[in-house]
Amino acid sequence: MDHILKINELSKSFGDKSVLDNLSINIERNKSQVIIGGSGTGKSVLLKCILGLMEPDSGEIFFNQQIMDKKNRADIDFHTKIGMLFQGAALFDSLNVQENITFGIKKLESNLVNLTEIAVDKLKKVGLDSSVLYLYPSELSGGMQKRVALARAIARNPELLFFDEPTTGLDPIMADVINNLINEVIEEVGATAITITHDMESAKKIADKISMLYKGAVIWTGDAKDITSSNNPYVDQFIKGSSEGPIKINLND
Amino acid sequence: MYRYIYIIPEAIGRSVLRMCASIGSIAIFFYDFVICLFTPPIYIKSLLSQLVRIGYNSLPVIGLTAFFTGGVLALQIYVGGSRFNAENIVASIVALGITRELGPVIAGLMLAGRVSASISAEIATMRVTEQIDALITLSTNPMKYLVVPRVLAALISLPILVIIADIIGIMGGFVVGTKTLGFIEQSYIKNTLDIIELRDVMSGLIKAAVFGFIVAFMGCYHGYNSTGGAQGVGRSTTLAVVSASILILASNYILTSLVFTN
Repeated sequence: MDHILKINELSKSFGDKSVLDNLSINIERNKSQVIIGGSGTGKSVLLKCILGLMEPDSGEIFFNQQIMDKKNRADIDFHTKIGMLFQGAALFDSLNVQENITFGIKKLESNLVNLTEIAVDKLKKVGLDSSVLYLYPSELSGGMQKRVALARAIARNPELLFFDEPTTGLDPIMADVINNLINEVIEEVGATAITITHDMESAKKIADKISMLYKGAVIWTGDAKDITSSNNPYVDQFIKGSSEGPIKINLND
Repeated sequence: MYRYIYIIPEAIGRSVLRMCASIGSIAIFFYDFVICLFTPPIYIKSLLSQLVRIGYNSLPVIGLTAFFTGGVLALQIYVGGSRFNAENIVASIVALGITRELGPVIAGLMLAGRVSASISAEIATMRVTEQIDALITLSTNPMKYLVVPRVLAALISLPILVIIADIIGIMGGFVVGTKTLGFIEQSYIKNTLDIIELRDVMSGLIKAAVFGFIVAFMGCYHGYNSTGGAQGVGRSTTLAVVSASILILASNYILTSLVFTN
């Protein structure tokens, strides 16, 4: 099986609190992998470790069979091969929509091409037109910000796309629009997608495969269609959203 | 009972450890800054916009402050000097006081209030809204993109602002001296030009460059390392202004000792 990303026994602690506990997961190329789990189970920390925003205490991450550590992450040009949609969009306040979308492209091809054309093309892919090109993030609604951030994430035609809670903070209709867009752009760009979310509707809609994290480790992985028949009490409790079951919520966390 | 004996040493120990950690963290940040300063790319567009923001936009504040400081200095020296019949030293003391001390220190402190706070708040907000993480995922080193242009801009701007502050400050003394205290214009100007040496102005400019660095560096450092949401942004802004102001006053003493005591 062709894995674009392999994670072996990743651990990360903050003081006494272990957030990732020997976590291992393989991500298949050209599939949409969703990682679900409750708050504080290590989803965001896992994402930050993969992206190089945080250093794990131990464990290995392989991208295209090459190990990624602090040193060779730059050598293999990892960041030019990925796109990331942040939970709060994370658009640059001081730049307009066009500059936001083409921010990464300028680094790649300095001599080049009409950046406006690229921005308009990417905007079209996320259902926006050129009228927003010169607006600033503060002039856009939450849903539009997410779309522009999605356009920025796909601007460099990445091999690997990351989505961090893509539907959080959106109304159900806009959340569905974003889910559809994610499916469309993944297909169009031909990228592998990794999404972390606790929104089960979103997970079912965009996932080929789903993994569930609990206490910093993967406790279940399977096809998205099998999640309702997983026979895993943790998964069952999570997808039903029930407070009764093996997952105990510590209100002091 | 024994528990209470340890409270004070424990608190002192914790403070010392926290201070050591802060110094270490600033040293690492400075090391990263130096490495990024001398490696491409340099973001010229960002540098130019910061020059406008830090330098040009600070002109009115620093000009006004310098003018009134020069005027007050002239009044105070006149009143103090008249006690031993030394009113005529007003022009000389205003010129030396402004160029050597008050020009750079007032400009530095004004810049600390205006620029250090805004740099810190801006970068801290970028930190808490994941914009700094976004920069990294877009193959951009935040230290090169955010910190280097701001620190360079302050380093270049403040000496220029201080030259302007020196001129406006001396002019403030001149206006008060000639319009209120009755000095003759020609003799006031002559006394001013006679007393000022290149060394006086240069020492002020060296101080200005150091203060400019401190102002932007502390703003960037506290903003970059901000944690804890909106409250963290506020805290980092306060820390940036307070630490920049204290460092300006402390380094002013050290620089004055080095330049003028031998």
